[in-house]
Amino acid sequence: MNRRQAMGGVAALAVAAAFATGAAAQDNWPSEPIHFIVGYPAGSSPDTMGRLVAEGLEERLGQPVVIENKPGAGGAIGVQQMLQGDPAYTFAITTNGPMTTSPKLIPDLAYDVQEDLKPVALIGTSPLILTLNSEAEPDNLEEFIAWSKENPGDITYGSIGQGSGSHLTTELFADAAGLDMLHIPFASFSEVTNSILGQEINAAFMAPSGALAQFKAGNLKILGISSAEPSPLAPDVPPIAGHAGMPDDFRAELWIAAVASADAPQEIVDKLNTEIDAVLNSQEAIDKMLSIGWQAQGGTQQDLADRIEKDTGVWGDVLEKAGLVKN
Amino acid sequence: MNTFEGLLYGLSVATQPTVLFYCFVGVFLGTFIGVLPGVGALAAISLLLPVTYYIQPEAALVMLAGVYYGAQYGGSIAAILLRLPGTPQSAVTAIEGYPLARQGRAGLALFSAMSGSFIGSMLGILILVLFAPLLAKIGTKFGAAEYASMMLLGLVAASTVGATSPAKSMAMVVVGMILGCIGTDVNSGAMRFTFGQTALLDGVNLVALAMGLFGISEVISNIRGSDERKLREKVGLREMLKERRELRRIIFPAIRGTGLGAFFGALPGTGGVIATFISYATERKVTRTPERFGNGAVEGVAGPEAANNSGAITAFIPTLTLGIPGDVVMALMLGAMIIHGIQPGPLMLVERPEMFWGLIASFGIGNLFLLVLNLPLIGIWVALLRIPFSLLYPAIVVFVCIGVYSVRGSTFDVYSVVVIGAAGYALSLMKFNPALLLLGFVLGPLIETNLRRALLLSRGDLLVFFERPISAGFMAAIIALILWGLFTSIRSRRGGSAPASVTESGD
Repeated sequence: MNRRQAMGGVAALAVAAAFATGAAAQDNWPSEPIHFIVGYPAGSSPDTMGRLVAEGLEERLGQPVVIENKPGAGGAIGVQQMLQGDPAYTFAITTNGPMTTSPKLIPDLAYDVQEDLKPVALIGTSPLILTLNSEAEPDNLEEFIAWSKENPGDITYGSIGQGSGSHLTTELFADAAGLDMLHIPFASFSEVTNSILGQEINAAFMAPSGALAQFKAGNLKILGISSAEPSPLAPDVPPIAGHAGMPDDFRAELWIAAVASADAPQEIVDKLNTEIDAVLNSQEAIDKMLSIGWQAQGGTQQDLADRIEKDTGVWGDVLEKAGLVKN
Repeated sequence: MNTFEGLLYGLSVATQPTVLFYCFVGVFLGTFIGVLPGVGALAAISLLLPVTYYIQPEAALVMLAGVYYGAQYGGSIAAILLRLPGTPQSAVTAIEGYPLARQGRAGLALFSAMSGSFIGSMLGILILVLFAPLLAKIGTKFGAAEYASMMLLGLVAASTVGATSPAKSMAMVVVGMILGCIGTDVNSGAMRFTFGQTALLDGVNLVALAMGLFGISEVISNIRGSDERKLREKVGLREMLKERRELRRIIFPAIRGTGLGAFFGALPGTGGVIATFISYATERKVTRTPERFGNGAVEGVAGPEAANNSGAITAFIPTLTLGIPGDVVMALMLGAMIIHGIQPGPLMLVERPEMFWGLIASFGIGNLFLLVLNLPLIGIWVALLRIPFSLLYPAIVVFVCIGVYSVRGSTFDVYSVVVIGAAGYALSLMKFNPALLLLGFVLGPLIETNLRRALLLSRGDLLVFFERPISAGFMAAIIALILWGLFTSIRSRRGGSAPASVTESGD
């Protein structure tokens, strides 16, 4: 054996070894702790949902799942931070915002949803509820639409910020119903609630848990829900879709999902998807998520990819009409 | 169930051994976390929240609340000893507390802070029990116009805080307001002065600003100075009681501070920083000896500390009775309650009386714990000052970095604290007061957002600030303050006496 052959042999061995360890690494996955980067603060819905999933995964995979909160820029910072980590062990728990609207709202966003990210699994969805002060004139959706049409430009609605889910949902609703309402942005649902209770603004699409508590106390009126079907949280609240002349396909939901870097090995993403889906099928997870206002989902990677594509289109149009597109 | 029965019921919940134990753990952790610069209640509660999933809800929430108000106690300790506010609210405490410590009267300063904190908390609990529904109702009456004029009043009232020249004070407030403009504009969604940095979309981090302006700049200025400090050999209870004459000065400032803190605390979204500044400004206005301010006036420690702590208690009012948290920490508390299956809000008193009254009763118990815990510790804290600078200051820098990082896990914030620290040192060389920069930074964005929101709602009609009764009241107070200021300055000029000069806080 001459020197060149020897070198070739070593190289071949090295290549073979690399393949072997690569395959083994994926077979043994996870052989080290998994990191979930949550782009929202501790105690927020994505954080709580992420922790519920992490708890189930730890049990099933036998490895710790570490939650890291990296809040900021509406969740975009969490996605950026995830991309800095090991693609096989670092995933982001994020929401519809960074996956659909952030690329249009934030100039110089450091990631491209299609090129840099891979959907893993849809974790949960939450509808929004259209609310008014309990002393407001209209009693139902039909009356509200009529009332708004009689007072074009005078009806004010609150949201949790320009380009937020509650803002875009109301714009989508107003567009479909042919209404002209004035947008008053706030920073949180608490501020919006306070403003409606003080009769400073007229209406808002709000997260179910807080709105239902005020409704039960007789402080708020509830006109409709933005999901296609009634929510198990509020079975009596009718969907807006197909009511009061609204289109049958009216649907606006917030969602929370797990996403990976585009460099994450497909086998690992497949496995994580299956495991998350299994966690989300447990009655305990379903009940716990519902108690904080969210419906457990699950499904395939493709289901999440479809949702990202569809919502990017829907919200993109709304943003375009509202003149908010920055990119 | 009436209030008295409710409280008794609450005591029966809060004195269960487990709940009592977690209450102690909470206030104990809170005190220590408050002492650490930058590591605030927010970071501590975030870390503890997942742990509480496994303990009973009453104990869990009592502990988390204990961390929150316990941290307010601890926050003043490093502010007084090292001019290193543990929480942004305690930046005001440093104005008078630090000069006292430099004069070798750290024990007195700490004692003033502790008693102010205790009085503020206990009266705050009383206010919470007696007036919660009323204060909650006033809270919903506050719209954008009311907030805008109230903040403006805060700015006018506090702009007199410790400075040699009004122009320098004004400059600091304005710089603070400009820094507050950085980030995403709430009204338009536009990105202002972010230079393409995603990390700046939510603005400059308040904790990074406070730690840089106070902590790091103090470390830098001490590198130059020599290691000479006046220290008493012993700081025990007996030594502190020798200063009885000073102690008598504490009571009324603490009561005034409590009232201010209770009011601002109960309004969602105003925060403790404003209450402490206004309390400080009030004490300077009502005192007969304003020349002592800036050189270590105990009123300027006790008042703001009482305001800070009573505000921390009444901040629970909108959260518990309306389900509307006033700040990020309260939002986290609300999240914690929801995770434990409790929906705070108008129905909480009916649905979960054990939680509502148990929590309130635990505040009282927790504050007693804090008093018992902290009085003996004063001596130990003062002993911190005996650590040589060469060990103490590197340790401070490490803690500041950890603290700033803990707020939102951002290395950008850690770098920014370095830059802010250097700027803060330059400002202190030129005798500017960084506390006013902090005030402008907190108030500026609040004024802007509410002013623009009020004008959006009134379709651009400026009269809205005078037509709504509460807002009109604030406007009248602003005009009165300005006229009074003009009147006193004219009178003192005619009298030929120079206006009382007040030295800078710090050095």
